[in-house]
Amino acid sequence: MYVAGIDVAADAMSVRRKIGFFPSGDRTFYQRISGIENLTFFGRLNGISRGDAMRRAERRLADVGLADAGRQRVGLYSHGMQKRLSMARALLMDPAVLVVDEATDGLDPEGARRVQDLVSSAAADGAAVVWTTQRLDEIRGFADAVTVLDQGRTTFQGTVEDLMLKSTARGYVLRLRAAPDADLEGAGLERAAAAIAGRGTLARAGGDREHFRLDLEQRAVLGEVLADLAAAGAVVLDCAQQRSELEESFLRLTTPRT
Amino acid sequence: MSRRRSRSYAEVSKLGAFLRRDVLVRLSYRTAILSDWFNLFAQAFVFSFVSKLIDPSRIPTSGGGRATYIAFVSVGIAVSGFMAVGLARLVAAVRQEQFMGTLESVMVTPTTASTILLGSVIYDMIYVPIRTVIFLVIVSIWFNVSFAASGYVPALLILAAFIPFVWGIGSVASACVLTFRRGSGVIGFGTFALTFTSGAYFPIGLFPHWVETLAGLNPIAVAITGMREQLLGGAGWADAAGVLAKLVPMSAVSLLLGLYAFRLAMRRERRLGTLGLY
Repeated sequence: MYVAGIDVAADAMSVRRKIGFFPSGDRTFYQRISGIENLTFFGRLNGISRGDAMRRAERRLADVGLADAGRQRVGLYSHGMQKRLSMARALLMDPAVLVVDEATDGLDPEGARRVQDLVSSAAADGAAVVWTTQRLDEIRGFADAVTVLDQGRTTFQGTVEDLMLKSTARGYVLRLRAAPDADLEGAGLERAAAAIAGRGTLARAGGDREHFRLDLEQRAVLGEVLADLAAAGAVVLDCAQQRSELEESFLRLTTPRT
Repeated sequence: MSRRRSRSYAEVSKLGAFLRRDVLVRLSYRTAILSDWFNLFAQAFVFSFVSKLIDPSRIPTSGGGRATYIAFVSVGIAVSGFMAVGLARLVAAVRQEQFMGTLESVMVTPTTASTILLGSVIYDMIYVPIRTVIFLVIVSIWFNVSFAASGYVPALLILAAFIPFVWGIGSVASACVLTFRRGSGVIGFGTFALTFTSGAYFPIGLFPHWVETLAGLNPIAVAITGMREQLLGGAGWADAAGVLAKLVPMSAVSLLLGLYAFRLAMRRERRLGTLGLY
């Protein structure tokens, strides 16, 4: 196996020099010392001098927006700050390969976007990024190529678009309101369900009067089914897939866990 | 400079990074430093009272002269404390990295397993001998124990020869903890057995004859007896050479065994991908 053109079995140490690693764990730093001391320490383990390590650490702290917090103990950092510090460490040596494990786990959307931007910027600078995630929707518009692993085996390799095509998403959540001369209670609901019989089923979802779950048969056409519901007295206010195509694809490609 | 030599130099220079890290971490726990010194002196204080109960004629001679019990035991406390603290910190160093989640991050850097192991204990390898010497100096002042000035350098040399033994045993213990996750109880028992039969607190002559015979093979006993001969009796270089001739091979075997065991344990953990589990 080769990484960045180096045989892993023959020269593992040189391979490690090429890799920047973003671990999934939350506490991967020495909590009692500052962010800059942590980065300098890891820089020196990569074989650079203390002065060089400090300069790189300061630059990367600024890149991840932690310049002001660099001299604080890491134990005082929030979860998001520790994730950003982890990214600063992964990028410290300008690696040729960046291995990122669950980088956005536990981050709010803004924090997740920030981490993604940093990785995108590293990729734009020429780094090959291996991004592992269980949050499938974050790879949309972000990953160039996707590999789905199931119990150690590759079950899909291709683009995000190709992966979405694997989806057979047939579950939808509808927001319906009864037309002025109709109702969606009792007989009205039965009438609407009968209008789409053979192509799907309609049932109430949630506790309110507006949300319904629509499950379509494999060959049913969504547009036709919605038109028939409208003809049966339902005004379709909204229609959303119950799961994203990516999530549906992933579930199709992997073995269900008990 | 050859490539191999420059790589070795690069590895050695990483030890400074480990040392700085641990100095900063330890300084952030000031109470722990104070309590360590408090415990050490509390132990000496207790033994100063015990010494009043002990007939000096029961204390073995060192370099031809007879010492008081507090003089006898203070060398034992210093060396066995050196062993206990050094060993505990060696095991704790790797274990703590595992608990903190930093071990995996350190292991993915281009640093050899030997450097990581040595780096994890470099602070203690410097601090613990200094602590031992400071303890002996303070005891000599506080309890009016007079050590033979001519024995200082040979005693330090014996202590230095003893360091690789502690490092080796500690590395084996670290390897066991990495592999089996638990095992500090077994390590504790082993340390107790070695220390108890080393004559640190009681003259070896009080034990059954077979223990006395085994003590000749116990590196802690060899180090303690050797240091007593130097510090209490000023036994001189010829005696020190005899002690070193015994101690150096024991330390070398221990160190090689320790490094080998640790490398094996690391390799196994890397292969299984369980380095972060504890």
